[in-house]
Amino acid sequence: MEYAPAKFHKSARKLAPAGETFTYSPENQRRFDEIVTRYPPDQRKSAILYALYLAQNQNGGHLTAAAMDHVAEQIRCTSAEVEDVVSYYTMFFTKPVGKYVLNVCRTLSCALLGAERVTEELCAKLGIKPGETDASGTFTLLEVECLGACDRAPVVMVNDDWHERLSPEQAGKFIDDIRAGGAAAFTGCHLHKEKK
Amino acid sequence: METVTLTIDGRPVTVEKGRTVLQAAIEAGISVPYYCYHPGISIDGSCRVCIVKIEKMPKLQTSCSTVCTEGMVVSTRDAETVAARAGVFEFLLVNHPLDCPVCDKGGECPLQDFSYTFGPADSRMDFPRRTFDGEGVKADVDFGPTLMLNRNRCILCTRCVRFMKEIDTDAQIGVVDRGCGSEIATFQEHGVHSLLSGNLMDVCPVGAITTRDYRFKSRPWDNPTVVDTTCTLCSKGCSTSAWLKAKPEWAKGSQLIRMTPRFNPDVNGYWMCDIGRFNYHWIESETRLRRPMIRTAAGLEKVGWHDAEPRLRDKIQEAAAADPDAVRFIVSAHAATEELFVLKQMVQGLLGADGLKSVSMAWTRSEKPQPPNAKFKIPAANAPNVNGARDLGFMVGQGNDGPAPDLAELKAAVEAGRVKAVYVLDPGPDGSIGDLSWLVEARRTGKLSLLAVQGVVMTPHAAAADVVLPGYAFVEKDALFTNDQGQVQSASLAIVAPAEAREDCLILAGLARALGLDIAYQTSDEVRRALGGAMPGTAYAGAGTVVFTRPVPAASWLQASNPSERWKWDFMFQDLPPVKGHNVQLEGLAREGAGPNYIPLRQVDK
Ligand code: SF4
Ligand code: SF4
Ligand code: FES
Ligand code: FES
Repeated sequence: MEYAPAKFHKSARKLAPAGETFTYSPENQRRFDEIVTRYPPDQRKSAILYALYLAQNQNGGHLTAAAMDHVAEQIRCTSAEVEDVVSYYTMFFTKPVGKYVLNVCRTLSCALLGAERVTEELCAKLGIKPGETDASGTFTLLEVECLGACDRAPVVMVNDDWHERLSPEQAGKFIDDIRAGGAAAFTGCHLHKEKK
Repeated sequence: METVTLTIDGRPVTVEKGRTVLQAAIEAGISVPYYCYHPGISIDGSCRVCIVKIEKMPKLQTSCSTVCTEGMVVSTRDAETVAARAGVFEFLLVNHPLDCPVCDKGGECPLQDFSYTFGPADSRMDFPRRTFDGEGVKADVDFGPTLMLNRNRCILCTRCVRFMKEIDTDAQIGVVDRGCGSEIATFQEHGVHSLLSGNLMDVCPVGAITTRDYRFKSRPWDNPTVVDTTCTLCSKGCSTSAWLKAKPEWAKGSQLIRMTPRFNPDVNGYWMCDIGRFNYHWIESETRLRRPMIRTAAGLEKVGWHDAEPRLRDKIQEAAAADPDAVRFIVSAHAATEELFVLKQMVQGLLGADGLKSVSMAWTRSEKPQPPNAKFKIPAANAPNVNGARDLGFMVGQGNDGPAPDLAELKAAVEAGRVKAVYVLDPGPDGSIGDLSWLVEARRTGKLSLLAVQGVVMTPHAAAADVVLPGYAFVEKDALFTNDQGQVQSASLAIVAPAEAREDCLILAGLARALGLDIAYQTSDEVRRALGGAMPGTAYAGAGTVVFTRPVPAASWLQASNPSERWKWDFMFQDLPPVKGHNVQLEGLAREGAGPNYIPLRQVDK
């Protein structure tokens, strides 16, 4: 039904790219099918975060509209509900990100120990601003809230890993280390190690 | 009914067990503000303005999500609550654009009214306000084919999200992003595509969601009167309110400006569909039939009733002279029960007891695209009175549930030349009577000697007719319609029909008199009294006593009907008698001396 002759303008909201047709790979489909069995059938929606991680990883680090549609189909909810979740969590991306996503903690303990300067150094080294990806597509820099390792501040989370006590002075070298050795450059999470 | 008794602001209040403190306060006429609570959807507890102090509870509680218990002591007016509530309002307005002068909701906006009553006098906000999609009215963006969205005005009560999820059951709206960046959005900005979309404007407590249809057309203070009536665009028969905008003084009269749903627990709950809401323009459109017309060599010519009636009589008598069966009626199921009753008396008077055989009922049917589990289903039958016709003995096949009539038998009779004159009664919108192009064709080829059309708008068959008689649309007359549940409902006169048009049942009565019958009705009230007398022991027995609502000042409409607007009455019109329960209409308290405006189901059972 068309009730208004006039054309109204479109929202300026940043949208996820439409993306290529997306379906889970057989392996991911298998993993998803296994995960949903862990929830009661009427609470299938609880599997949404896992379903999104599978999709995001399969898609090279970010989610497209097609991927969200596919997740909605799998979870049996609407795409709007999926986007609701995706946009809420900081670890889901709707635009391409680098191979390493550097999440610099900016909450109190880290801030007191120079997190702001860490960010500055990283920006200078990579030639980008927070929220951006460097020219080579290797690094994305983000600022996040407390990462739960305050006693080893300042903390940076790189993808799913921690790097603790990253002083501003070491920030540039840290990048070089990752370029040279990848994940070997991270200290890891002391809490995690102590638990083992 | 199990009840609990609690104390609110020192007053003992007794409510049904399971009611929340907010509901108890509303029922007792104690004003507590609320935004995220809506009686028709689930409780959310997200806006926090309904906070109250409850003894023995450590902190202030949201009254909308706290269930009443025996002996509870609640305070809504102590210093702590007042200060905390004002704090919540200050936050709600931190980013609100306060563009009330250009906002459609201005004047009927809970955010305005509650802020004035409960909010702080001024804001301490020194920073620029957060804006989405540009500033001012430019922030209005597409929100699907029927709606506009202004995110700057949104207070994130999530009523719209819950409406889509719970009532429409296709959750097209979500909250994207988080914190102060949260915004209401649809996936990929597709907009809302739903036949229930107009309800989003009703549930939105601010001017964030507005309808394109009503946008910038009027302000609440320009709509001084409202009429409680019934929608007739399908067989559901939703209770609605017709809003009238005062025309400029020199223009006289008023104009139908919008339709809104009116709470009716038996039929439509709090909602109505977009078809009923937006499809009213035909009534006051350019194609409105305003005067009787007869065909002359020069085409259709406007004439007076005294010219049209004799012409019609002569043609009908001429056709009937050879064979009484050569005169047939095609009657839209948009015809009100009064019209059907007079028609029945007429055909039985002319043709004897089986006269009804000369009448073919007609309507259309379309499955509405809705999610399978939608809580508000729009019926497939696009006519309001199939059951009324059935109850009066007209042939309606399987009624509302069956296929729409195909008129094949009549069509064959016309094509075989056995039928010479056809009288079409078509008081609905164009097309609502179904496809009559074969009739137009039969008139063109001369198979028919008379095609007469009584209706509201210029349709293809009216354009081909020999005699055209202007009737009244459903908002222009008091009339009864029987919905798909068999409930006899009244649709009240809201706007005045063009001067030369005539009420449909009286056109038929006039025709009957012209054909020599003793059918003397002068008003539709007389028809209803006769109808009641003719059908004792049925739901129609009370037809003569049905009370039709009249235009009322919009302020008393607020107190009387829409419960989601009750807040307004609660504190703006406190000198008026208290409203009890939700459906004031049903409880007969709305207007002193006025009965319900439809015959409740229980009366049918008797
Ligand atoms: S758009 Fe309206 S109904 Fe929806 S969350 Fe915002 S204020 Fe509430
Ligand atoms: S469901 Fe039927 S009666 Fe109700 S508003 Fe829609 S068209 Fe009118
Ligand atoms: S403040 Fe940085 S990890 Fe907690
Ligand atoms: S109405 Fe109670 S929190 Fe919104």
